[in-house]
Amino acid sequence: MIYTAAYPPLKAHANQLKTQHLADLFKAEPNRFEAFSTAIEGLLFDYSKQKIDSQALDGLIKLAEERDLSEWIQKLFAGEAINHTESRAAGHTRLRDVNNPSPDVSKQWDRMANIVSQVHQKQLRGYSGKPITEVVNIGVGGSDLGPLMVTHALDKDRHPQAPGIHFVSTLDAQQLQKLLNKLNPETTLFIIASKSFATIDTLSLADTAKAWIQQYAKSESATLRHFIGISTNAAKMAEWGILPDYQLLFWDWVGGRFSLWSAIGLSIALAQGMAGYKSMLAGAQAMDQHFKETPFSKNIPVLMGLIGIWNTNFLELAAQAILPYDSRLKYFASYLEQLEMESNGKSTRRDGTKVTYRTNPILWGEVGPNAQHAFYQLLHQGTERVMSDFILFSQGVSTSKRATFHHQLNVANCLAQSRALMIGQASDDLNKHYPGDQVSSTLLLETLDAHHLGMLIALYEHKVFVQSVIWNINPFDQWGVELGKKLASEIMQDIKSGSTDHLDSSTAGILKAVLAHSTGVSDEN
Amino acid sequence: MKINVFGSSISALVCAGCLAESGNQVVLIGHRDNETIEPGLVKLLDAQIDAARLSIESQFDVEADFQILSLNANQCQEAKIICAKLAHSTNKDMCLVIRSSFTMGTIKQLSDIAKTDCLVNPDFASEGQAIQAFTRPDRIIIGSSNPQNTRNFKRLFAPFNRNQDVIIEMSEASAELTKYATNAMLATRISLMNELAIAAEHLGADIEEVRLGLGADKRIGSSFLYAGIGFGGTHFGEDLNRIQALINATGARESLLESVITINEQQKELLFRKLWQHFDCQIEHKTIAIWGVSYKPNSNSIEGAPSLALIKAFVNQGCQLKIFDPMLDVNFMIWMKETLSLTQQAQVEICADMYEATQQADALCVVTEWKPFWSPNLVALKENMATPILLDGRNLYDKQWIEHNGFTYFGVGR
Repeated sequence: MIYTAAYPPLKAHANQLKTQHLADLFKAEPNRFEAFSTAIEGLLFDYSKQKIDSQALDGLIKLAEERDLSEWIQKLFAGEAINHTESRAAGHTRLRDVNNPSPDVSKQWDRMANIVSQVHQKQLRGYSGKPITEVVNIGVGGSDLGPLMVTHALDKDRHPQAPGIHFVSTLDAQQLQKLLNKLNPETTLFIIASKSFATIDTLSLADTAKAWIQQYAKSESATLRHFIGISTNAAKMAEWGILPDYQLLFWDWVGGRFSLWSAIGLSIALAQGMAGYKSMLAGAQAMDQHFKETPFSKNIPVLMGLIGIWNTNFLELAAQAILPYDSRLKYFASYLEQLEMESNGKSTRRDGTKVTYRTNPILWGEVGPNAQHAFYQLLHQGTERVMSDFILFSQGVSTSKRATFHHQLNVANCLAQSRALMIGQASDDLNKHYPGDQVSSTLLLETLDAHHLGMLIALYEHKVFVQSVIWNINPFDQWGVELGKKLASEIMQDIKSGSTDHLDSSTAGILKAVLAHSTGVSDEN
Repeated sequence: MKINVFGSSISALVCAGCLAESGNQVVLIGHRDNETIEPGLVKLLDAQIDAARLSIESQFDVEADFQILSLNANQCQEAKIICAKLAHSTNKDMCLVIRSSFTMGTIKQLSDIAKTDCLVNPDFASEGQAIQAFTRPDRIIIGSSNPQNTRNFKRLFAPFNRNQDVIIEMSEASAELTKYATNAMLATRISLMNELAIAAEHLGADIEEVRLGLGADKRIGSSFLYAGIGFGGTHFGEDLNRIQALINATGARESLLESVITINEQQKELLFRKLWQHFDCQIEHKTIAIWGVSYKPNSNSIEGAPSLALIKAFVNQGCQLKIFDPMLDVNFMIWMKETLSLTQQAQVEICADMYEATQQADALCVVTEWKPFWSPNLVALKENMATPILLDGRNLYDKQWIEHNGFTYFGVGR
């Protein structure tokens, strides 16, 4: 990136802009909103509270052109093997082509629709013959975060026949155990969602769930009526025992963190109905079209990506906060933590060399009004320079008097915070001095429904892709997570054998302390 | 006395017929569509029309002495229109009687519209015994706060209160609630017995023996203690929901009555579950014979019938069904068209004979206690069936007799 022609003048311009306060930019240019916001159907993107001007924007667009962003976008949509370290395409956009789906995709939709219809009609049966009424999604990472985030966000629009939907991911089994204590085994279905069907986190939980059903079901074939498998690996699913009609497939060209668009979204379809699920896909597809066809200067994912680059590499800001002003987006920041940091939290370029610049910042977030009472102190008066995304919806959940009041309160708080962060307030008493000058963008969506949520998710996916192109890294692999898995498996052996000899003294010391307090194993499940 | 009876339900027809029979001049504002189902009703109505004490008309005289509303529960709007006309009556002695089961609270509205007090006289008769229940009732509930109305009504009903005085007077609201409470109590007894049936099966007890022991206790009594595959019809469910809505409206969330409904709905699929477990969850392509579709014998009514839940469950698992019911009617065909896909409809074969339905069947489900099912020819049955499995949804049979004849027997709670 630093070897582009666009980089040096941008850097020089950034150094000059850095010295200016955001509030002064607004004084100098009162119509910043008109200049630095853009809208498409259902979505307004305001980036006028970013420390940016036309010169910076032009320079960033030149940088994108120099990095061949258009060609990369074409490669993404053409299904080229741009995940070069794994020799795969990144085909998630193919999964949301609702009008013209490929036969393999539409076949899985039909299989999903069949399961959804049986569950909704109370005709999918457990071992005793009672209909399934509760569904537990067992999965981790992309097999958990996306479906969890979406089903929570859209819960208000759940299908009237939808079963209860629960999510379990942690390998300590505490979430699972808590659920098993209250669920009825006769009427509970487990979705085992795992791309490889080999992830120890998921399979260990699946085995615990199976042991639970086995206590009540009279046979193996009756037990297996309670398990749906979703994976790219049909053989592994069959080996575990998933019945043929209970297997849903996706493909290795779907990355885990992009898999909510595939059969992994079954829990979403169960909650929303197939129509709701397809509406989410259509929303994402609308964003795909916008991303593919819109000039960079009006292209929202491109602008978001470039502003991130500007903040990270030119203004040298440290972190990215995600601040949705709607509690239905409670899990959105967790979802983006994976999408952004697992995609671009890397330091190897596509050519195998090490980067010489910063890549993905640390991203975190929380529902805005709650975060106001938690970490906003740091945003307003801390030493860290942070960029924030405010996310807001024009329509509240209802038009009742109380709901309208709460919605207005929410809007007022969102606007107050982004304004306060920008403008600040001077005081001689340093405790009451607000420096301001913290940058933010605001995404204003019309309403929170399946379609708009689909748009929002796809927007961040493409923003991540844009940044990966500028940084020249592969956003679709995740080699960084492998070492920990390998060492965990080795230490599991150490726990069994009780030997700690080859470990460093810290790890060995902790393990010895754990083993000293171990109480042995009982026969209970 | 000049009496108008409004409605076309069995309840309305019986009321009109019986009051005409006791010498009143009755006009029925309704029609005679439903009369054939009720034993003796056609004869009663014909006789009263011949005697010129009963006529069926579309107009009515607002000056009649009694205006009796026997409309269906969902005809609240019609009731209001009638009451608006009655407001013009100049007959100071007119008595407005409500025998319909409207949503609770409607009585007050009707009274306001008609500008006269209502007298509530709930109808407790069950279909099939409606004439007997009208002429020789267990109780005549009068809900009224107007003494003149009460006196007039007692005079009208005197012919039906001769053996012993069965009249109980109370407020209008109490009379309304008594009607719903009766059905709620009966439904609760059935669901309780079905819960106990689960415990009986688990313990190796026989719920039929338990029923006899329970029913001998005078505090309990022997009626409505039959475990089975659930009650059908509309009245129980409607009345349970009405009381539940009333309880919910107070802010309380007590759920006994919800459980009564849930248990009943689950019970309807009981025979499916027994077969599902018997075949280890693999019943695709099995042929199942079903005896009885109506929710009770001697009726073509299928509303809320357990057979429908069973049929849906079986076809969804890919079973072939052979169905026999002595009074199977067009309403079942309409239900099939509205509920099942074309493929699923093709899985259902309607048979003209009860034994024909068992040809090559893998199991026989006895769903309604029609009389012809009580003593089947087991030899013929066994010859017909591919596998001799009998599921007795009404505990009609002596379990040992069936098993002795080489059948696998599944009852309810035994």
